[in-house]
Amino acid sequence: MPATLKMDDRLEPISHEVTDQMMVEFEKVVWDRGQNSHTDVKAAQADGITRTIASGQNQMAFLHEMLERNFGDGWVYGGKISVRYIHPVHAGDVLTANGVVTEVDEHGGSPRVTVQVWCENQNGRKTSAGTVNAGQPSARRSWIGTQGDTP
Amino acid sequence: MNESAADAEIGGPVWAAIPIGDDLGSLDYVLTTKMVEDYRRVVGNPYAAYPTVAARHPANLFYRKYKAVMRVPNMGHDSEYFNPPVADKRITIQGRIADKYIRRGQPYIIIEAVATDEDGRLIERSRLVGHARQVGRDAAHGTIAQKWGA
Repeated sequence: MPATLKMDDRLEPISHEVTDQMMVEFEKVVWDRGQNSHTDVKAAQADGITRTIASGQNQMAFLHEMLERNFGDGWVYGGKISVRYIHPVHAGDVLTANGVVTEVDEHGGSPRVTVQVWCENQNGRKTSAGTVNAGQPSARRSWIGTQGDTP
Repeated sequence: MNESAADAEIGGPVWAAIPIGDDLGSLDYVLTTKMVEDYRRVVGNPYAAYPTVAARHPANLFYRKYKAVMRVPNMGHDSEYFNPPVADKRITIQGRIADKYIRRGQPYIIIEAVATDEDGRLIERSRLVGHARQVGRDAAHGTIAQKWGA
């Protein structure tokens, strides 16, 4: 169960390897975007790069997982994120999503937590960076069970 | 040369012609249970709340109107999440050009999409920070190659 967060607390990080298969499938789930610079070397070369790069949304997905695990409903219902993708990610990179609490305050009578977030690769290079604002962590995960899964 | 003329020169004629506030219309789709399952499997998160992360609502709305003339590689996102989508509900997304600007000599377009479901639940508001790249003039990822040798 997540604890109440305070200044300088670190979130529990999560790590995933980015694979070619993940990059290809990510472009097809939910909305099939066809061949592009994330899935096809020729398309990447036509876009001015030598090999495929992972979508920024791949990193966003990892940040979401970290925030869901650390905040539960506190993130999922009313969370805000502002993130910039600052370094290319390729197949074979291992990304770790991180977060450090930078502010704890109240907004409209509800506690809010501001977190500096980033993803970094296996070499410690930041690949994305930004800020999150969410409620204090909650043990509740109210969304589970509403999307065809088992609570 | 005034400031807007200088911006137009950097951004190119297509970027200059796209108005802030431009209505990108709406689209709808059903987020099926299979889509949810596939997304969770692909990202390795069995309880992912927002499979819509892979749906790229702003980009899809933008490209429906501007694909022939403009690419907007994803430089970042500013998003708010209100209620996770429920499987097998129809989602409607509505978009607009929220802003555009030149920063560090590069043109950007900010594309906003708001997603609601068939029951009127607000799901998310996403703003894509797109690097504006005019088709036929700029390679979509040319600056990435230049900066990182990618």
